Amino acid sequence: MQGKRAGLTDRIPDGSTTDIFRTIFERIQTAILIVDPAAHEIVDANPLMESLTGLSKEQMLGRGCQGFVCPAKCGECPVTDLHKNILNIEREIINAKGERVPVLKTVAKADISGKEYLVESYVDITDHKKAEERQAALIAYLSESILRAKKPLELMQAEFHEIARRAKTGDYDPEDVHLELELHAKNLAQIVKNLEELQAKALAGKTAEIPPEFREFLARK
Amino acid sequence: MLCLLVAQPEKVGDMNLMVIKKILESRCTPLIVTVNKPYKVLSKVYIKDGISPESYYVIDAVTQYSGGVCPPTPRVKYVNNPANLTDLGIAITEVIKQMPQGKKCIIFDSVSMLLIHIPSATASKFLHFVVNKLQLSDISGIFLSVEKGLDPIVMSQMSAFVDHIMDYDQAQKSPCLL
Repeated sequence: MQGKRAGLTDRIPDGSTTDIFRTIFERIQTAILIVDPAAHEIVDANPLMESLTGLSKEQMLGRGCQGFVCPAKCGECPVTDLHKNILNIEREIINAKGERVPVLKTVAKADISGKEYLVESYVDITDHKKAEERQAALIAYLSESILRAKKPLELMQAEFHEIARRAKTGDYDPEDVHLELELHAKNLAQIVKNLEELQAKALAGKTAEIPPEFREFLARK
Repeated sequence: MLCLLVAQPEKVGDMNLMVIKKILESRCTPLIVTVNKPYKVLSKVYIKDGISPESYYVIDAVTQYSGGVCPPTPRVKYVNNPANLTDLGIAITEVIKQMPQGKKCIIFDSVSMLLIHIPSATASKFLHFVVNKLQLSDISGIFLSVEKGLDPIVMSQMSAFVDHIMDYDQAQKSPCLL
């Protein structure tokens, strides 16, 4: 009977696994911080964490996690004090430029050489958030476009009934009816023009991250 | 007093009539800003309901726009296009000055039709400008709109600067709108 298959790190003799884990730690496409839970201090950071924060590893080592990658106050650590499970939670970290970067954060406890550490992993979701914002803006923009066409059309429909009634009863002279029909013909032409302009703007902004017309709606949220 | 009145599309015309009658009953001089009906048609609708052309003022933003003739008429000011908010604002200021002393009220007919000509955000800014002008001059304002015809953000902004929002039925039952 065949035994359990060994993974790469299982097969490496004692003492050399460190190199493999170091390589994985440095090459993995997730930003990782190792935190000492007793002192709440950063004890290691991988290169992706450096590029995510814009800080070098040296700048991060020894730095407290509170106020840097965690908004919690002292004594209110969600992992060590409140015993919460942090698994793919949306958070923001503030990078070296002071910009807020949206991330998915996961914290796992790990025993390393007989001491407990927190392994914190961060996935940058900036692109995902931008796509979400763009979608929300697009929906708001489409709603506005529909509103600017639908309600005036309903109002005009009511007016057309009224014009037809007047024409039948002879309440008003043909010049009045003509004037009102001209007005609504111009209104219809304007609605068509509005829709064409809205479509052109939406198409023009297709490749931009968030086109200006959509941004206006985001700002008004 | 500032009020936003909303109605189903087929009731907006009736709502206009009801509003002007109530305003006249309260011995107030109305100024109708119309982006919905040309003055020539509006005045005939009013005459049919016993409202004399001498009892109100009008700013007509659609006759010239639709190619109609704009004969000089006392109490009527024409604006060439409903999207021309600058001229519309100037016309409102001028007609308010021209109106006799005493209670005055602007009826804006209608916010929904204005949206054909300008986006909601611009409409909101313009209406805010009008409201400020009315408040400074102690003039009442009634804005007519189609029910659910306003962008939710414009609606919330308007809710902030008007005193009441009423539908047609509530407005009919109300003994006085001002």
